[in-house]
Amino acid sequence: MIWAKEETCTRAEMEEIQLARLKEQVTWAYEKVAPYRSKMEEARLRPEHIKSLADLKNLPFTVKKDFRDHYPYGLFAVPVDDMVRIHASSGTTGKPTVVGYTKEDMANWTETVTRVAALGGATSHDIAQICFGYGMFTGALGLHYGLENLGAAVAPTSSGNTEKQLMYMKDFGTTLLVATPSYALHMGEVARKMGLDPQKDLKVKIGLFGGEGMTEPMRQEMYKLWGDDFKATQNYGMSELNGPGLSGECLELCGMHIHEDHFIPEVINPETGEVLPAGEKGELVITCLTKKGLPMIRYRTRDITRLFYEPCKCGRTTCRMENLSGRSDDMLIIRGVNVFPTQIEEVLLRIPEIGPHYEIIVERINHLDTMSIKVELVDESQLESYGQLNDLAKKVRGNLKSVLGLDADIKLVAPGTLKRFEGKAKRVTDLRKELGLNC
Amino acid sequence: MVKQLSVFVENEVGSLAKVTRVLRENNISIRAIASFDSPEFGILRLMVDKTGEAKRVLTENGFIVKLTDVVAIELVDKPGELDRVMWILADARLEINYIYSFVLRGQSEPLMLMNLDRMEEAEKVLMENGVMVTEKLTQE
Repeated sequence: MIWAKEETCTRAEMEEIQLARLKEQVTWAYEKVAPYRSKMEEARLRPEHIKSLADLKNLPFTVKKDFRDHYPYGLFAVPVDDMVRIHASSGTTGKPTVVGYTKEDMANWTETVTRVAALGGATSHDIAQICFGYGMFTGALGLHYGLENLGAAVAPTSSGNTEKQLMYMKDFGTTLLVATPSYALHMGEVARKMGLDPQKDLKVKIGLFGGEGMTEPMRQEMYKLWGDDFKATQNYGMSELNGPGLSGECLELCGMHIHEDHFIPEVINPETGEVLPAGEKGELVITCLTKKGLPMIRYRTRDITRLFYEPCKCGRTTCRMENLSGRSDDMLIIRGVNVFPTQIEEVLLRIPEIGPHYEIIVERINHLDTMSIKVELVDESQLESYGQLNDLAKKVRGNLKSVLGLDADIKLVAPGTLKRFEGKAKRVTDLRKELGLNC
Repeated sequence: MVKQLSVFVENEVGSLAKVTRVLRENNISIRAIASFDSPEFGILRLMVDKTGEAKRVLTENGFIVKLTDVVAIELVDKPGELDRVMWILADARLEINYIYSFVLRGQSEPLMLMNLDRMEEAEKVLMENGVMVTEKLTQE
């Protein structure tokens, strides 16, 4: 089912909507948000210089650092009193990225997530179980509102306690699962261990996956666990751009449809900032066309993809983005949580018993991401007993957990044994499978 | 009490050899050595003839080394001797963290080294019970 008429309009119709909204949005940001105005003034640009969609490329970029520099409300275009929701996600260092939504923003966000659900095959008859962690993360509440709007019955089971999740799934007759793809695989395996056959004893037929990329091998694994007729799609978004709802795969599995009447995508060369033609690989840049509370103009996502404008077999005419093939920065996504190595470094530097060098290894074991961190012991006074060394490892782990919200295995190693780098350090080894392409 | 060396070693091939090489190259003789299996890292405990020098050269070679105290006792070489000592400590409710023995051959009587939470108390109770507690084993 195609939810909105904008998903099938002609290119000319879409561009007409986009241009009208872009002009309005740039004017709004210029008038209401001081950092946008000063960036545009520096570039000698005024809102009336936006005469066509081609003029978009002249506007300055917005980056994650802008959120930190204007923490918490500096990028808001309306007083916080006019916001009806606030979310936050982990930032590169220290301060989180804070986002706010007006009532109108909530309606638009819900609309785009509803489309994502419909793209993935959901209908009003579905019983949806949302296994994303509820809280400041936009994923859970985003999908929650979208699925409710679609008319599905939503069970906000949140994350954790897999056995209980599976009990609900069985007893409620859940037909649709919202989770990170790795958690869905983990659930399937736990179900088997509990003596449940996911294909016979459970009714789940649709998986809407997000929070992290789903690789093609993971999708194949998904079919093995949940059945060949399982509809496994992924969708994409980030809190700076509302959250989920920016784009999602349709059942043709030929890339993620971008809701272009709300978001204009561009792909740029991450080094030069130059806009690349359709089909070329580069960093995705998104301009939000309907965000009133927190306008986002040319936001650099740091995700690497390609764009395709040919109409899709599913009947939609919206631009599609290829499944992500990496990042232009060093952000890691571990169990759906964004982690920057700099965050880890900050924590480690505050612990005097260990040195400043570290090595991060990310692996996928039994479908769950695990992170282990090697740190060098430099404090000889810790050598009194094994208990003391274990306590130190526990302390490092606890400090990391409270900052990242993630568990990491800590390995103490002898000083001087970790690699030293001149120039750009490569401290992260990601042993998870490379992301596959769809079409 | 006497001083032993505690050296941090990783649980991997060759990690002890790296320590012994430094000692060999500096002509330091090992009197006793102990290491226990542990999943990821280990603490190698050593009694050597030149403790201070050993710490210096190991540290210079990038090792993390700490001097720690152990109680050293001389035993009579006959069955039941260690048992007697263990019961003295057990009756005094003194907990042993680890224990290992001396490898020096020329010496007539065996030596045991042990680490406890309350070492001074242990020495006192051992001496009171007639156990030979040694204060000086190595030259400094």
